[in-house]
Amino acid sequence: MSTSFSRDRRQLLGTLAAVAGASLVPRAWAQSAAPLKDGRLILVFLRGAYDGLSAAVPYADADYARSRPNTAIPVPDGSAEAALRLDQTFALHPALAPLLPLWQSGVLGFIPAAGSPDATRSHFEAQIHWEIGMPGKSNAPSGWLNTLASIGAGGANAQLAIGVGEANPKILSGPAAVRLIPRGQAATREGVLGNDRARQALLDLYAGQDQMSRAFRQGADSRMMSAQELSAENMAADNGATGAEGLMLDAQHLGTLMRNDRRLRLGFLSAGGWDTHANQGAVTGLLAQNLGRLAQALTQLRRDFSEPGDLITIVSEFGRTAVENGTRGTDHGHGNALWLIGNRINGGRWHGQWSGLARANLNEGRDLPVHHDFRAVFAQVLRASFGVGERQLQDVFPGAKFDTRLSGLLKTV
Amino acid sequence: MMFSRQRAALLLTCALMFPAQAQDKTPADPVWRASSRLGYGPTEALLADVTQQGGARAWALRQIEVAYRASTQPARMPAELTHFNLPLERIFEAFREEREARKAAKDQGQKKEAGLRGAANMENDRFSRDAAREAAAWRIAACSAPEFENPLLARMTEFWFNHLNVFIGKGAVRPFAGHYVVNAIRPNALGKFEDLLLASSRHPAMLFYLDQAQSVAEGSAGPLGRARGLNENYARELMELHTLGINGGYTQTDVHELARILSGWTVAPNHPSGFRFAERFHDSGEKRLLGVTFRNLGLAEGEEAIRMLARHPATARRIATRLATFFVSDQPGAALIDRLAHSFSASQGDIRVVLRSLIEAPEFWQADQTLFKTPLDFACSALAATGGAQGRRESVLALGFLANAGQAMHGWQTPDGYKTDAATWLAPEALTRRADFAIALGRQAAEPLFLNAFLSPATKSRIAREPAPLRPGLMLASPDFMHK
Repeated sequence: MSTSFSRDRRQLLGTLAAVAGASLVPRAWAQSAAPLKDGRLILVFLRGAYDGLSAAVPYADADYARSRPNTAIPVPDGSAEAALRLDQTFALHPALAPLLPLWQSGVLGFIPAAGSPDATRSHFEAQIHWEIGMPGKSNAPSGWLNTLASIGAGGANAQLAIGVGEANPKILSGPAAVRLIPRGQAATREGVLGNDRARQALLDLYAGQDQMSRAFRQGADSRMMSAQELSAENMAADNGATGAEGLMLDAQHLGTLMRNDRRLRLGFLSAGGWDTHANQGAVTGLLAQNLGRLAQALTQLRRDFSEPGDLITIVSEFGRTAVENGTRGTDHGHGNALWLIGNRINGGRWHGQWSGLARANLNEGRDLPVHHDFRAVFAQVLRASFGVGERQLQDVFPGAKFDTRLSGLLKTV
Repeated sequence: MMFSRQRAALLLTCALMFPAQAQDKTPADPVWRASSRLGYGPTEALLADVTQQGGARAWALRQIEVAYRASTQPARMPAELTHFNLPLERIFEAFREEREARKAAKDQGQKKEAGLRGAANMENDRFSRDAAREAAAWRIAACSAPEFENPLLARMTEFWFNHLNVFIGKGAVRPFAGHYVVNAIRPNALGKFEDLLLASSRHPAMLFYLDQAQSVAEGSAGPLGRARGLNENYARELMELHTLGINGGYTQTDVHELARILSGWTVAPNHPSGFRFAERFHDSGEKRLLGVTFRNLGLAEGEEAIRMLARHPATARRIATRLATFFVSDQPGAALIDRLAHSFSASQGDIRVVLRSLIEAPEFWQADQTLFKTPLDFACSALAATGGAQGRRESVLALGFLANAGQAMHGWQTPDGYKTDAATWLAPEALTRRADFAIALGRQAAEPLFLNAFLSPATKSRIAREPAPLRPGLMLASPDFMHK
C-alpha cells in the first residue's frame, strides 16, 4: 500500500463526504408542511410468503388450532413453549419475543389481513405486483421505491434509496439512481479499487457517457465509501465479539450507511426461506428459526431507526393457507399480517378488519382475505410521515384508494 | 430502400464469411456473438474451429449436432470429483448415514457446549457439502473448457437447469443436485422437451425440492411417515413455471387436480432410478385437468398429464419466449417468439429443431439485439479466455465471485430460476466486483492476445500502458467484455 494510495483515497472520500455534508434537502419533501420531513422508511421484504398466522397468532379463535393440528402455536400459558399474549385476540410467536418490548412501549403494530388484492398465488407474479405497486400488472419501468426516490430527489441527482443484499431488486429499479450493496462481509471490501493503478485504469476504461460506464463510475464511488464506512464501523464494534452474519449483518450495514449519509431516506432489505410447504414446525423448527433471526434483525434496525420520523415495515407477497396441508406445512394463500415499527405508529395494538378463520369468512374457503390493500397502508404512511402529496401518491401507486378503516394507524402530531 | 437492404445483406454475408478477417470487431461481431451466446465466449481453439467451419453461422449450426452427440455420451469427470455423481442408491445411503450421524451428534451435544455441537454438525454433513461443492466445480469446468465439455451443451444444460431449477440450500436436495444436472438435465438438453420434463419430474432432487415426494392422496398415511395428504407445490410450479406459464389458462382447481394425479410419486432410496410410484398413496378417483378427464391409470396417468402439459401451445410459447430472451435479447420481438413457438409445436418439442430456427433467425445476428453478460456468463467467459478452470484456485475464485454477485451455483432458492436480463444484473457496485474477479484471475494468466481482435482501439491502447500482470485482468474487466 503506497502513501499516494492512502492520500488519494482520503481525498476521494473527503470529496464525497463534502457532497454528503452539503445538505441537499430533497426539494419536494422540504416543501411539505409535514413536521417529520426527515423521516426514513425501511422496507423488509420476506420473500416466499411468510406464515403470518404463526407470527400474529389468532389463539382465541377455535378454528386456529383445529385448522393446524401440527403447526399451531400453543395458546399462551406464560411459558416460552407457547405463544406470547398480545391482547384478547392475538399472541406473538415465542421466537419473536425480542419484539415484545416494542409492542409494550407502543411502537409496534400490525394489520392482520393485508396484502395485494390480486388473486394470484404465484410468488413471482405477486412479488412483481408488490414491487411495482400495481397489482394485476406484469411489468412497469420502475419499482415504487424508485418512483418515490425520484419524487423525493426533486430533480436533483441525489441518491435517496439504498438496497442491501439483492443485485438489483425490481422495487428499487428505475430512473432514480439508487445505492445497492451486496449481502454480508463483501460490502466491507474495497477490492481492486483499493489499488491506485488498477482503479485509475478501470476508471479510464469506463470514462464514457454510456449507461454502463456511468454505472461503473457511480459504483466505484459508492463502493469505496461503503467499504470505508463499514470497515471502520466493524473495527469500532468488534471488541473481540464475534461478528454478526446473515440478515443481522445486513441490517447493521443498512443502519450504518444511512446514519452516515442522511440523504438516504429509503432502505430496502430482503430475506428468503419462508415458503414452508412441508415440516413448517411450530414453537420450534424451520419457521421458528427464521422468525428468530428476523426478530434479531428487526431489533437491530429499531436501534438504528428510532428517530421520530423513522418507520420500519415488514411485508411479504401473500399469506399462507389457514389450514395446514398434508405435509405439515402450509400452501400459498392470500391475505397476511403486515407489521410496522416506529414512534409514529399507534402501536401496542393491531389495526383494521379481522374476520377470523371460520371457513365461511376465508378467501375461497382457504386463505385469509385481503381486507386492506398494501397500497392504502403505504399511502397512509407516505402521506403522514413523508408529506407526499396526493398527486405524487398517484405516481407511486396509480389508482390506490384511501382506506378510512386505517385512519388510526398513525399518531396525529 | 431496396439498395440499403441489399447492402445490409451483403455486409452481413461478408461478416459471416470472413469472421476472423473482419476489421474493427465489436461485440456485434458474429464470431463473438455466436461463441458468447451459444457457448461461453471465444478461445484460441474455438476461433480456429470457426474459421475451419467457414464462419460463425456454419459453426453455430454444426454445434447443434456436435452438442447433441456429446449429450448422448457420459459426462467427463475430473478424477477428484468422486461424490456427486455416484449411483443414486449410494447417494441415498451416504445421505442417510449423514443424517443419522447428525442426529446422534445432536442428542449427544445436548449435554455439551453449543460450540462443540456446531463442530460436530459441520463434520456430519460432509457428504452433502462435498457433493454440492463438486457439482459446482464440475459446472465451472464444463462452462470454461471447450475441450472438456462442448460449449453449446454446457449452455443448454445451464438453460434447462435454470428452467427446471432446484436449490442446493434445501437440505434434502443438496446431495442430489449435481446428479440431477448430469443425469436428468444434460442427457436431455438437446432432446425432446417432454423427455426432459419427465426426467426432471422423477429425479429425487426435484421430488424433494418441490415436496412431491411427500404428497399423498388425502387421508392416506404417507410414505415418509406421518404425512397425510396432498402437497400442491410441485403441481403448481409444473404448470406455472415448467410448462404453461402464469397466463397459461389453468386455475386453482387444475393445480389441485394435477396434485391428485401425481399423488404417490415419490423417491425410492433403493432403486437405481431413485423414483417410485406408490400405488397405495395414489388418489384413485377420477380427475379433470384443463378440461380433460383422467381415469385411474396409476403411474401412466401422471406421465400422460405431464406429456399433455409439455405439448400444450401455451408451453410452446413459454419455452420460445424463454429461449429468445436467453439467446437473443431481453425484449425479444413477437415475430421471433412466434417462429420459435411454431418450431417447438411442429416438432413436438424437439429442442434441436427449435435451436436451428433460433440460429437461422435474422434476429439472432442483429447488432441491435444486445445482451449483457450475467455473472455466470462473465465468470465462465473470463475463465474460458484464460485457459479454463485449470485447478481448484480458479474454480474457488469463480464460485466465490458468483455467490457474492447474487448468482451462486445451484443457489437460487425459488423455482423460477435466475433472471438473465440487464435490468437485473447491470448494477453499479456489481460492475466493480466483476473487476475484482477479473484482475485476480488475470494475475495468474497469460495475456489472452486473441481477445485483442474483439476490443476497441481505445480499450487496447489504454490497457497497453499498464504492466503485464495487470493487462489480462483489464482485458476481462473492460467494457468490451461485458456484452455477449
